[in-house]
Amino acid sequence: MFKAKFKEAVICFSNPRVTLPYPFGPGAEVGEGYRGKIDVDETKCIACGGCANVCPSRLIRIYDDGEKTRMQFVLDRCTYCARCADVCPEGAIQVTQLFETSTDDKTDLYIEQELYMLTCARCGRCFETENAIDRIPTRRMREGRNFVGASMPHGAPGVRKRGGK
Amino acid sequence: MHSTAYCQAVEKAANIEVPARGRFIRTILLELERIQSHMLWLGIAGHIIGFDTVLMQSWRIREPVMWICEKITGNRKLLGMNLVGGVRRDIPKEIHPELLQVMDRVDKEVRAILDAVSTDTTLFMRCQNVGILENKDAISYALLGPTSRASGVALDIRVDHPYAAYPEVGCEVIVETGEDIWSRVVVRIKETIESVREIKDALRMMPEGPVIVVIDEPIEPGRVGVSSVEAPRGETHHFVITGEDMRPYRWKARAPTFQNLQGVPIMVAGETVADVPIALGSLDPCFSCTERLETVDVKTGKIKIYTKQELLQLSKQHFSKK
Repeated sequence: MFKAKFKEAVICFSNPRVTLPYPFGPGAEVGEGYRGKIDVDETKCIACGGCANVCPSRLIRIYDDGEKTRMQFVLDRCTYCARCADVCPEGAIQVTQLFETSTDDKTDLYIEQELYMLTCARCGRCFETENAIDRIPTRRMREGRNFVGASMPHGAPGVRKRGGK
Repeated sequence: MHSTAYCQAVEKAANIEVPARGRFIRTILLELERIQSHMLWLGIAGHIIGFDTVLMQSWRIREPVMWICEKITGNRKLLGMNLVGGVRRDIPKEIHPELLQVMDRVDKEVRAILDAVSTDTTLFMRCQNVGILENKDAISYALLGPTSRASGVALDIRVDHPYAAYPEVGCEVIVETGEDIWSRVVVRIKETIESVREIKDALRMMPEGPVIVVIDEPIEPGRVGVSSVEAPRGETHHFVITGEDMRPYRWKARAPTFQNLQGVPIMVAGETVADVPIALGSLDPCFSCTERLETVDVKTGKIKIYTKQELLQLSKQHFSKK
């Protein structure tokens, strides 16, 4: 019995203290690629709705209000799977390393954004965000680079290579 | 672990083949989960019997496993790696040495703990010949996982119905015949060592290639898939009927705790009250997995189980009052 106790004592004393005085001091840093709270960059968003389509908790709501599209991220239900960041074709959704999200008011976690839609010069209807239109290549570019199906933003991933080449 | 079972069920329903590298990564993550779950349980079991040294030490061993999980997947516990068709992130070459290093350390430290506690007579007094579950009871109550393997029932989904990369990696079923709580401790510690071996082998044998298959066309509704996964506590079964809009029409998960709890009355029969917590704790019970509801009328003793329609009706009534 004393032999066992001695071995246990050796294990205890050969390992120094590893706990941190969190939250009174700094905690351990999270690693690279950590899936924390998401952050949305409204200047990059093209309102394609891909994030709302894959969200397993269906917390991304998109309201089509005619001349503007309203997007609501109800993040109190977020499971931090970061699927939205994975599928975002424009990199508008990024995962941050923020994990200390406790609050006594859940609306603190909501993100809302409004994207103004451009109006068609011919028919006068609102149809697409400015960001998405910017990413449609002109006719000359289409002929030169042979973009396939790039007339709508869903075909746009090929367009993103513009800067790279 | 549940996500693997769910994804496998959908893959079976839709006849999707997962790439080999994806299957190996799934196996590595399942075994990492098993290591951290068994280490967590060892700590809790030590805490229940008032032996907090093992709590502190096993949780210290567990922590690097959580960190490497965070590095691979992006989160400590809810790995979120599985998708229907494969896994989301690869395990890049740069992480391999660190993962192997963590595994070596876990292996060494777990062996040291097993060596230290295996001659501790104070521990034997609380664990040996306590919470006896005989072999025939374990079979007749269909108990699962380490609980039954400690009673001499060689039952393991990884061997009986191999999935992911287990056909290639192989798995040794750890069986003890002590039938008491001490055997359950030993089974779990030895399984941790076996998991380390499996992770190392899987890393070595992992082929190159894609980790996920791209699903081009929507999955047909009305297909049925069943899959089983050996969770740290026992077998987990998932049943899926695919539905419209790429969402499940029906999904039923059976977690092992509800099954294992049926063995508790036999374990505690004739024991002292002080042994009940550790007898119950020796299953590694997860009570959130056992959520079943039946209502008992206190006056008449009548038991009622609500149907889905009745529950919907009740909730509608409740919210319409507000």
